[in-house]
Amino acid sequence: MTRSEFISHAALVIIFVLAGLAIFPFYWMFVTATTSDANMFAASPQLVPSLSQLGIFAQIFEEGAVKTWLANSFIIAAGTTVLTLALAIPLGYAFARFPFWGKAGVGIGLLVTQMLPEAVLVVPLFSIFSPLGLLNSYAGLILANTAFTLPVITWILKNAFDTVPVEIEEAAVLDGCTGINALVRVVLPVIMPSVAASAVIAFFHGWNEYVFALTFITNDTLKPASVGLAGFIGEISTPIQSVMAVGVVYTLPAVALYLLMQRFIVSGMAAGSVKG
Amino acid sequence: MSSHSHGTQLARIHGSRWLPYMLVLPGVVYLLVFQGIPLLQEMRLSVSNTSLLNPSRFNFIGVANFSRLLRDPNFFNSIQVTAIYVAGCVIGTIGLGLFAALLMDREFTGRSFVRSLIIIPWAAPPVAIALVFRWMLNGQYGIVNRGLEPLGLMPAEGLWLDNPSLALITVLAITIWQLFPFTAVVILASLQSVPKELKEAAQIDGAGLWAQFHAVTWPVIRPTVALLALLMTIWSIRRFELIWLLTQGGPVGSTNTLVIDLYRRGFIINKLGEAAAVGMVGMAVSVLVTIAYFAVANRATRAEKMR
Repeated sequence: MTRSEFISHAALVIIFVLAGLAIFPFYWMFVTATTSDANMFAASPQLVPSLSQLGIFAQIFEEGAVKTWLANSFIIAAGTTVLTLALAIPLGYAFARFPFWGKAGVGIGLLVTQMLPEAVLVVPLFSIFSPLGLLNSYAGLILANTAFTLPVITWILKNAFDTVPVEIEEAAVLDGCTGINALVRVVLPVIMPSVAASAVIAFFHGWNEYVFALTFITNDTLKPASVGLAGFIGEISTPIQSVMAVGVVYTLPAVALYLLMQRFIVSGMAAGSVKG
Repeated sequence: MSSHSHGTQLARIHGSRWLPYMLVLPGVVYLLVFQGIPLLQEMRLSVSNTSLLNPSRFNFIGVANFSRLLRDPNFFNSIQVTAIYVAGCVIGTIGLGLFAALLMDREFTGRSFVRSLIIIPWAAPPVAIALVFRWMLNGQYGIVNRGLEPLGLMPAEGLWLDNPSLALITVLAITIWQLFPFTAVVILASLQSVPKELKEAAQIDGAGLWAQFHAVTWPVIRPTVALLALLMTIWSIRRFELIWLLTQGGPVGSTNTLVIDLYRRGFIINKLGEAAAVGMVGMAVSVLVTIAYFAVANRATRAEKMR
């Protein structure tokens, strides 16, 4: 074996080890969920999932709480996505296409807001939401989440709009497409991959969000899965299989959608959150 | 320049010079209401002794919160913890990400499969990550200790996250594990623009791997790596959920970063004013880092142009 052959073999081994490390915790979540009670605390741990125990994934849905959590997470995430896109598309478009008074100021604002930790705004948002009846509501969480997705999604979409030649729009306008129609009918379809990637990013921001939900929601029927599941962290009195099974179900949609959209998301995130 | 003239032309075609303002207004108003006003309110809180038990009572106490922080050893501890955590995250995620990206930047069977597997930690929710790591690191039944015990590598009493001397490094390792996929994939994308001919030429000249990297690859990816370093810094200063769910800042303050400290002051000892003051310090650090970054980046671009 020559030196360079050795290096490329070693590289291959290392890369597969890294990939293994990256997915092991998820594998372990699945293995734990499907381990029988007898094997759970046995002297030697069970290292592979037992398929006879797959029923656990049906079992967890028999309990009302899990269904409610996931449904709440979904509503919050979907609301965050819709509101984010509704605000970010016009904002990103204006940034890419038009000069306007105060543009630099708004740009700096969008950059600075990306540095604000959620934890800093928990208290003031709490005191703003409280008199408006927005605590213990989906609306409150959607409004708070969108404040944090809007800056980054605006940059992602601005960068996408930048890649569309202005001539396309001019041609559309000359063909009788007026004003906003040109944006909706001609430009948006061209940047659909970026819009879809933005939607996924906004959706999972809402799906994953924890601090606001923890602080604003006290009503059990409105708790999302992040808060519900976090209640079991570090606990081993509740059947650990059920907790891990819920963990798997909660993680799966995030990972699956990311994988589908990975190419657009990563380039969009890098460009959007950095180029500010 | 060209976007400016195009824009004006577009606005004329669209028939309204108010169009950009109508497009911008909803988003800007939104950010003012949900980021701007809360931030101002947080600044106001930082000069008050408002308590969580009576959040609407405002009592101006000037810079007392800040001068109290300057005398508070807990605060200096959390500055130190934050500095170690941020430095560790930046070095770890960039180092490991760069290493993984260089390894993946070659043809091999299963390359796109491996790339998909590696991105998974970054896509997973922090709550799920904290859940599974707390289980894997469980002192008695966790798979990590069960694997290490026979090798005699288990820490004292099998404690990781509850061990004052290991908690920070463990939280750091979990954070790096979650974030290196992101830096790896971004660096991998920028490696695609390294000219192949240059690499081949360097190889023919007999340059070693390190010399090739230094002379050919690094100059191309340097701006990307620098931007990632900024991003990792800001994200690490901001990070709350993962640390809170893993350790809540403990044991004995060993993982108490500024953001965790702020939440504890506000919601555990009910001192909203002090919490806000800590938040202001955290904000100031983020803004200073960003300004420093852009100053250095601008000087670098100018120096490049001078050459």
